[in-house]
Amino acid sequence: MIVIDEYLAVRVVGGAWPEGLPDDEDLALPASRHWRLLQRVHAPGDGQLSQILAQISDAGRDGIRHPHPEVLGVLDPRPLLDDAAALAARYGGGLLIAETLAAGLVHGRALWFGTPANVGRHLTRAAEDLGIGVQVIA
Amino acid sequence: MEAMSIGEELLDQRRRRRRAGDPRLSDADREILRRITSGDLAPAFQAALDADVAADPVLGGHDHDD
Repeated sequence: MIVIDEYLAVRVVGGAWPEGLPDDEDLALPASRHWRLLQRVHAPGDGQLSQILAQISDAGRDGIRHPHPEVLGVLDPRPLLDDAAALAARYGGGLLIAETLAAGLVHGRALWFGTPANVGRHLTRAAEDLGIGVQVIA
Repeated sequence: MEAMSIGEELLDQRRRRRRAGDPRLSDADREILRRITSGDLAPAFQAALDADVAADPVLGGHDHDD
């Protein structure tokens, strides 16, 4: 199982396989990161971005809302929640970072991101301390 | 050429389906997803995601800096 962020998830769902991402294991998105995408789908907001997102077909929106199981999984947050709370207490940050760290710890001690913007100070410090490898494919 | 075992063949088929993306999406859908992740709309998409985290103390944490 390879834990990825929402950027890589959207690219994978759209068939634009990120160069360098291993393709021999199932991919999984932490639930809080899926929530982040769902907020954009259901409340796209104003401006050009919302207008573009509104052009996605119902089937396309379903690809984000209910990812195809052979393409992308969403991690069950329940087995990760206690670990996430412990990590948030230790390193700071909210559920987004803590759940991602817990997922990376459990699933191969690795996390894959599609943008450096998703790798902040809390996550970097905690990942180093926990021995979790952080890969960024921009 | 050595033939693949049935297990290798099934895994290879699975790998190719994974790399192809969600079969329900149209080419137009795929182009929109490309634009928001690696095209002209990527900065706006990132800003929208960041705004959601900043507005939600549970998701982002009270001392969120990411």
